[in-house]
Amino acid sequence: MGVEFLQSLAEMQIAGELTALSLLVGGIIMAVGIIIAKIAKLLFNKYYAPTLPKDTAKNFGKIIYFGIIIIAFLTFTSSQGIDFSGLLVAGGIFAIVIGFATQSVVSNLVSGIFLMMEKPAKHGDLIQLPDLSITGTLLDIGTFSSHLRKFDGTVIRVPNEKFFTSNIRSLSSSTVRRAEAMVGISYKDDIEKAISVIKKEIEITMPLVLRIPEPEFRVEELGDSSVIIQVLVWHPREDWSQVQPILLTTIKKALDSSGIEIPFPQRVLWTAKE
Amino acid sequence: MSDLQTDNTFSNYGIYTIKDSLEFTLPNTKIRIERIGEKAFSYTRTNSEDEISEKIIPSKSNEIKIELAPIRPLNHPARRTGYVFLNFDKNIFLSKESAATIFVQCPIEIGLFLVNNSHRDSLDWITCNPEKSRFGLYGPPDSGTLCKYAVVSMAEDMDDSISYVNGILKVELENKLNSGQSINKVIFPITDNSIYYSDSKAIIDGIKVTLRKRAVVSIADVKVDPISTDWIKAPTWEDTTTTKSMEMGLE
Repeated sequence: MGVEFLQSLAEMQIAGELTALSLLVGGIIMAVGIIIAKIAKLLFNKYYAPTLPKDTAKNFGKIIYFGIIIIAFLTFTSSQGIDFSGLLVAGGIFAIVIGFATQSVVSNLVSGIFLMMEKPAKHGDLIQLPDLSITGTLLDIGTFSSHLRKFDGTVIRVPNEKFFTSNIRSLSSSTVRRAEAMVGISYKDDIEKAISVIKKEIEITMPLVLRIPEPEFRVEELGDSSVIIQVLVWHPREDWSQVQPILLTTIKKALDSSGIEIPFPQRVLWTAKE
Repeated sequence: MSDLQTDNTFSNYGIYTIKDSLEFTLPNTKIRIERIGEKAFSYTRTNSEDEISEKIIPSKSNEIKIELAPIRPLNHPARRTGYVFLNFDKNIFLSKESAATIFVQCPIEIGLFLVNNSHRDSLDWITCNPEKSRFGLYGPPDSGTLCKYAVVSMAEDMDDSISYVNGILKVELENKLNSGQSINKVIFPITDNSIYYSDSKAIIDGIKVTLRKRAVVSIADVKVDPISTDWIKAPTWEDTTTTKSMEMGLE
C-alpha cells in the first residue's frame, strides 16, 4: 500500500524531472534541517552562549541556525539533481537589479558585519553618536540595525550604515569620567577664596567626586561682567548622573554661603556732557 | 565578643540576642531594633543628617541575633571597587636593602549581620566617618585603578585603632633596591584581607610591600600577609574577588 503510494508520487511529475516524491523528500530534508538547526541553536544558547559576550553569542547563534538550514537546502537540491546553471545567468541579471533596488539594505548588512568584526562598542556600553546627536546604552548590534536605549527610556533604532560611519564616543571605556561646570564671580571678589570655598564644598557634599585626581580650577575667561572659572571634577564612570547635574548647585551654594557674588551682565553707560 | 542575653545594652562589636529592643549608638549613626510583633522586628537607622532607613525583619522565633562587626571600607559612598589607596600622612624612607614594619590606621565600615545558626545574612552597613570616605584613582584616567582613598596616620601598635572608625593594618616594607626609597602610599586589593575584632577594636590582615627591580623598572609588589590572632574574624560583607596581589610603580 505504502510502496504503491510512493510509486504513484514518483510518477507524478510537477515540472521537468521534479516529481511529487522528490518534493516530499525535499520537504523532509528541510524539516529535519530546521529541527536540527533549532536544537543546535538551543544547545548553543544553553551551554556556550553564557560564556561569550552577548553580541558574539547572538551572532554565533544566527550563524549556526542559518548555516544548518543552508546546508539542508543544498542537500535537498543536490539530492534532487537540480541544476542551477540556468538560474545563475538569470540570477546574475536579477541580482544586479535587486542590488540597485536594495542598496541601503545591503549597505546596512555589510556595515553590520563590519561592526560585529570591529566591535567599537559592546552590549551595555554607554555611547554617544555626536553626528546623530544620540546618547544611550547600546542594546545590540543586529544584522541591519543597532538599538540604543536613551536616557529618557526610549529605544532608538539606528541603521547599521549610519552607526558604522558615525563617530562613536564611548562613555564607559575608562574607569572614571570628568564632569565640568563654568561659573562667573564678580571682579571685586577674590579668585583664590572662591576656588577654596568651592573646593571645600565639593569635598564635603559630593562624596562621589574623586580626591585623586583633585578637582581642578581654571580661570577660563575675564568676561564682560565676571571672571569665568571652570571647575573640573573626576568621578567613577557610573556616577555621572549623580555628579554633573548637582555640580553647579554645589558651586552656587558654596559661593552664596561665603558671600561671593555671581554677577548678572552689566553695562556701564557713559554719557557725554553737552 | 559580647554574646549578651540582655536587651537595651550595647557596648562593643559582637553578637547580640534581641528579645525586645536594642539601640546601637555609633559615631554619626544610631540604630534601633525593636519588636513590632510576635515574630517580627523593626530596624531603624538614623545618621547624623537625620536620614532614616527602615526595615522589617521577620523572625522564626521570638528573638533575633544580630552581629555587629567591622567590614572592609568598600560600600560608602557606593560599591565601585575592591581596591584601597592609603596615602600616608608622613613619608617613610627606607635605605637600600633594609626592611621595616609599620602600623597604619586603615578606614573600616561597620556591618550588621542577621545570625542564623552559623550563617550570617548581611542586613545593613554603615560608615562612622562618611566625610573621609572617598574615591581616588591610581594611575591615569584612561587606564587607572579606581580605589577607596584615605589619608592615614601611623599607629603605635595593633591596639591603637579608633573604635568603629578604623582598624590597624600592619605593613611590612622591604627595600631590595640598591638605593634608598621614600614611600608615601600603598594600593592593594583589600578583598583579600580579613578583618578581626575584639571589644570595639579592629585589626586587618597585614600586607607585605617589597620594593624590587623588574627588568629596568623599580616596582613595589604588594601581597597579603595574614595575621595570626585570637581576635574574632568578622563575617564578610561582600563577595571576595580573586585578585591576589598588586604592583605599584615607584616615583
